[in-house]
Amino acid sequence: MPQAGLKTIIALSFVLAVGFLLVILSCALWKAYYPLLVVATYVLAPVPNWICSHCANPDDFVESSGAAVLDLGRFCTGFLVVMGLALPVLLAHAGMIEVPAMIMSVIGGLLIYGTIISFAMFFQEEQEF
Amino acid sequence: MDTEERLFKFRMPQWLNSVWARNAGVYAAGGLFSAAFYILLDAAVWSKSARNASDVHVTFVDWLPFIFSSLGMLIINSVEKTRLSGDSFSYSGSGVAWKARVVLFLGFAALAGGMAGGVTVFVLGFVVPGVAWPAMGMGVENVVANALVGLSTVVLWVSQNMEDEYAYNLAL
Repeated sequence: MPQAGLKTIIALSFVLAVGFLLVILSCALWKAYYPLLVVATYVLAPVPNWICSHCANPDDFVESSGAAVLDLGRFCTGFLVVMGLALPVLLAHAGMIEVPAMIMSVIGGLLIYGTIISFAMFFQEEQEF
Repeated sequence: MDTEERLFKFRMPQWLNSVWARNAGVYAAGGLFSAAFYILLDAAVWSKSARNASDVHVTFVDWLPFIFSSLGMLIINSVEKTRLSGDSFSYSGSGVAWKARVVLFLGFAALAGGMAGGVTVFVLGFVVPGVAWPAMGMGVENVVANALVGLSTVVLWVSQNMEDEYAYNLAL
């Protein structure tokens, strides 16, 4: 169904743009540019998974070292995802950004990450075949 | 699978053994550890920020329990789980299971020591001097962070133990 795929892409890119808009607004409205760090976190989040999936041999079930490397990548990805949510809360608690900026940047980050995840979910199966 | 000898009355539900649940457990463990780290970092940043009106500050001593907890977590999850069961003949040669248990004991001791250290810092540094509430939060955050590291260890341990069942299913 190419039509449904096209609509999905348009909707996802729209949501991604809204997410980036929220994050950038949360910086620009209060002239405090700390929440931009969140974007770097979301960009970096899939990197450990990606590297470790290249290091490991997933067909190897006898030696569990391959699975251990995969687990390490997943652990680091989980670490980075929660870091993206925790960083604005930390900054707002310390008074470096305002609380509305924190809310906007958390919602924007959730939208960005939801887009990345759903994009991977929609288009992963096509790669396998 | 039905013929295996069970210890508990309730068996683990089938969906919990899937690859999906295992991966979700590992992700959740990473998230919990991240939450622990950032809660402690929050205490340190807040301590130096303008909002901290008191003269109580987070020093290296407040980080020490967290370092021990993380070290314990690293040790516990580095041990190869299959070496622990001394029942299997091939792995129990030359006392590998015994060594694994000693290392595991050290790991759990470091984890428990970190948690006890968190409570100690909280009591000696915040409760006994009678610190007022907004600054008291730094001590509470210390205890919560160490508890989250322990929880993360448990989640990671449980989800790594699912692996055996998964590999067994796939081998059949």
